[in-house]
Amino acid sequence: MRKSTLFILLALLLVSVVALSACGGKATPTQAPAEEKPAAEATQAPAVEATEAPAMEKKEFKVGLVTDVGRINDRSFNQSAWEGVKMAADKLGLTENDIKYIETKDAKDYADNINQFVENGYNVIISVGFALGDATHQAATENPDIMFIGVDQFQADPLPNYAGLIFPEDKAGYLAGVLAASLDKTGTIAAVLGTDLVPPVVAFKEGYEAGAKATKPDIKLISTYHPGELSQAFVDPEWGAATAKQAMDQGADVVFGAGGMTGNGALQEVAAAAEAGKEVYCIGVDTDQWETLPAAHPCLVSSAMKLITPGVAELITKAAAGDFPGGNYVGDVGLAPFHDFEDKVPQDVKDLLAKTKEGLLDGSIDTGYHPGG
Amino acid sequence: MSSPTRFKKTSLIALAIAIVLIIVGIVVNLLPIPDDSMWRVLFGVSTLNFTLRATVPLALGAMAGILCERTGIINIGIEGMMLAGAYAGFVAKVATNSWPLMPSLLFGVAAALLAGAAMGYIHALFSIKFKMDQIISGTFLILLAGGLTAYLFNPDMVAEGKFSPIAIPFLSKIPVIGDIFFNNPPITYTALILVAILHVALFHTKWGLRSRAAGEHPRAADTVGINVNFYRYMNTTLGGMVAGLAGGFLVLEAVGQFQEGMTAGRGFISLAAMIFGNWMPFGALGAATLFGYTQGVQNALLLAGVVNIPRHFISMLPYLVTIIAVAGFVGRVRPPAAEGKVYETEGSSE
Repeated sequence: MRKSTLFILLALLLVSVVALSACGGKATPTQAPAEEKPAAEATQAPAVEATEAPAMEKKEFKVGLVTDVGRINDRSFNQSAWEGVKMAADKLGLTENDIKYIETKDAKDYADNINQFVENGYNVIISVGFALGDATHQAATENPDIMFIGVDQFQADPLPNYAGLIFPEDKAGYLAGVLAASLDKTGTIAAVLGTDLVPPVVAFKEGYEAGAKATKPDIKLISTYHPGELSQAFVDPEWGAATAKQAMDQGADVVFGAGGMTGNGALQEVAAAAEAGKEVYCIGVDTDQWETLPAAHPCLVSSAMKLITPGVAELITKAAAGDFPGGNYVGDVGLAPFHDFEDKVPQDVKDLLAKTKEGLLDGSIDTGYHPGG
Repeated sequence: MSSPTRFKKTSLIALAIAIVLIIVGIVVNLLPIPDDSMWRVLFGVSTLNFTLRATVPLALGAMAGILCERTGIINIGIEGMMLAGAYAGFVAKVATNSWPLMPSLLFGVAAALLAGAAMGYIHALFSIKFKMDQIISGTFLILLAGGLTAYLFNPDMVAEGKFSPIAIPFLSKIPVIGDIFFNNPPITYTALILVAILHVALFHTKWGLRSRAAGEHPRAADTVGINVNFYRYMNTTLGGMVAGLAGGFLVLEAVGQFQEGMTAGRGFISLAAMIFGNWMPFGALGAATLFGYTQGVQNALLLAGVVNIPRHFISMLPYLVTIIAVAGFVGRVRPPAAEGKVYETEGSSE
């Protein structure tokens, strides 16, 4: 009997490992075969149009994007970056065949997916997300004539053909903190966050707290990271929701949800409380979540945005023009529009936010977040 | 059923945990203890609310496990059944977004139950008809649900609205207890009532006796004319329904939205709760409460920021408690005797 119990437990452990890794895998079986086409086209192109040099060059310019684990329409990073590619394609007159994406199914495929584009003769390859940094750096070292753009990838030793698009998240968080402290009436605000294993999340939190403290020095801040590991921290909406509820039970009336699906869970929980008549607000993250998370409308005042789309578009345009900036390329951050809360945010708060943004840009306001220095 | 008293004792240990929590909670919240004291952090209403909320899916999952395993079918596929229920509930809710909120949500619950039942039936079919190894069949269910829901899920689908709390008149006015127990959304009430129903049904009805007989000594049950495999089919399907309800809880009551892999291991933890609770409904509820409570405390400690130890140690808490619970108690619990064994009537097997 004891043996069988032990057996069940062992089996359990094994299965949970298999299942969790399978969950992370997110099957997207249709994408890969589509990538075979450009190979054929790429090899044919030079032979056909050898006489028209400028036209050929234009046709030769191909842009490929490798997502982090997840879909292209994830309403977050992958989607924003892909929209940047499309924006640049419109500007440069590229056709749909010149831009392609590969959805990564599993973290171990990062390098393979990047190599698919390398082998098919793409000129610019974009990899989306902190986690792809190593694979992208490797590919950039091996292929000096291909230009690489890494979203959220800080460059410790810069390469001329590799641009890391990074964002001062602490500044976006600072603005969110100022807004939260201005709207707060109970004296307590909260943040429900992904994981401190990812530096941008830490930057958001530190900036948020600094901004709130600068606005209301005696404000009580309750914030927590997801306690799990990297693979779970961003995809546990129920934890986010329950934690947001716990924070509201403790008196928080503004909740900053920063952490993928986990953060979205928090926003939706606050939205439900707002719908039930409580005066609570929430602030989203990364993109304008008014567009991406309609369920949060009842409470969503604004979002601490990283402007990925224009950043990616700009880098591609620069690459096409031949003045590609290697190393770290700092993108823009800001608060999303207030949408339905336009009237509920007082004018003096709006003025304060505008002034704060100015101060952050010219350096007169310091968020106090200086990792490693 | 060699030692029924022992059975009760382990179950009582788990149950005692839940009762102690409630009593300390009441005392702490009624006494004028300052807001930032450790007692408030550990037993505040917000922590206990979180505990109940985290407990519900675990308890439902454990009930699903008990239903199956008491008749002798090992069910490690609860995670998959939950996920299937969650997805079905979500799709049904999205499809009926235009309906008034309540009917639409109830339709979602019905879909979750149905999907769970279907998963349970598949498990029964594999384990009984095709005499497949039940661990493998359970694994199959987990992989099936994980893969299929991820493939079918379209992030553009948005469910509008979720169950909101219903305050029970008079009872919800009781200090502390009212806040925690009598101001909850419907599936939470259902889950708590279900535990009591299952306990009575298992130990005080004909159905319960026959179900247990099928799991303890199927040959003897068969001899007295009980259709063992019929009971196994029925209870595994019922168990699937209960697991589906746990999925429905996540989508229709807790989050309001579906997410790939959103069960996040809750099915596995509920299995641990079932074992820790010695295959007894109230024991499993107590164990689920303990697991839920460790998560609540962990969050409360992090939110309060009162601790100076690295948060990674706080993050270990639920796992530490699970290990201690399972290592300390699992030696003393006893699974149904015929668990995992295919039953064939004499005629057909020889």
